[in-house]
Amino acid sequence: MSARGFEKGRFTDREEKGQRRKMVILAVAALVGGILCGLTDFGSSVTGFLVGHRDMILYLLMFLVGISIGMHHGLIKKIREYHVRILIIPAGIVVGSIAGGMVCAVLTGIPMNVSTAIASGLGWYSLAGVTIENLAGAQMGSIAFLSNLMREIFSFFMIPWIAKHLNYYSCIAPAGATSEDTTLPMMFKYTNEETVVLSVINGVICSALVPVLISLCFNF
Amino acid sequence: MDILLVMCVGVLIGNRFFPEKYKRFNAKLQVVCTVLLIFCMGVTLGSRENFLEELGSLGLTSFLFYLIPAGFSLILVYGLTRKFMTSRSEKQKDSSKADR
Repeated sequence: MSARGFEKGRFTDREEKGQRRKMVILAVAALVGGILCGLTDFGSSVTGFLVGHRDMILYLLMFLVGISIGMHHGLIKKIREYHVRILIIPAGIVVGSIAGGMVCAVLTGIPMNVSTAIASGLGWYSLAGVTIENLAGAQMGSIAFLSNLMREIFSFFMIPWIAKHLNYYSCIAPAGATSEDTTLPMMFKYTNEETVVLSVINGVICSALVPVLISLCFNF
Repeated sequence: MDILLVMCVGVLIGNRFFPEKYKRFNAKLQVVCTVLLIFCMGVTLGSRENFLEELGSLGLTSFLFYLIPAGFSLILVYGLTRKFMTSRSEKQKDSSKADR
């Protein structure tokens, strides 16, 4: 038996790997299936219903995640112990993203203000896409949309790897503003309840900062 | 903010009333919701006009704009959390998986 060990009700490493693989396969299948349905209009009444009620699904998911967190006793006390250090993760994400935007400006020749504004989307592709399109035109809007979408999708699949090879807190970094909703289930699956709560707090802070950052960077 | 409120209600129910025996069912339902959300995201993308064309023409630039900012964030957060949150980080890996 491995160090992570086997006791009744716990995963062995092999089981854990199996669970990870299964979740990634399910996620890829759902994404590809969704894109195909969207492209071909297949089952449009069902998909239309699902997309129309997406917020309800998200609320249900958050409710269920809340239940899981609530079942983990003593968690709130642990979170209180962080004090101001709770801001370390969102600060790292914002500074890292803007620095990355600056490097992208040098590599692609896109003006620095537009480049940092695109990177300030922090994974919130719908808002970043629309805002940058209004500010800098359709092409930049499309880059903002696609890059932030990639950030959301790829972070989804990176979380298991980061959790295993780096630390749990780092799983929040690529997720950025999406760490409070879309990528949260992966956090829950591959990190711990404490990181999930930090992830939600980070998502709220980053989401509030995205419109401000885009505007600040673009007008800088 | 609505999301936080819903989650808080869940935390309260989980903390006070939710029976332990439904823990697994709750986890399975979370997977179903996650898959449905990803599927919806795919549908929204697929129905976006010119999605494939955009992906083809601006794909590489967009990939750079994903990779570098996300990579820098990851490196910075890893460094900062290792420096300021080390003791917890190390404890986490040992203790948390045992709860799963």
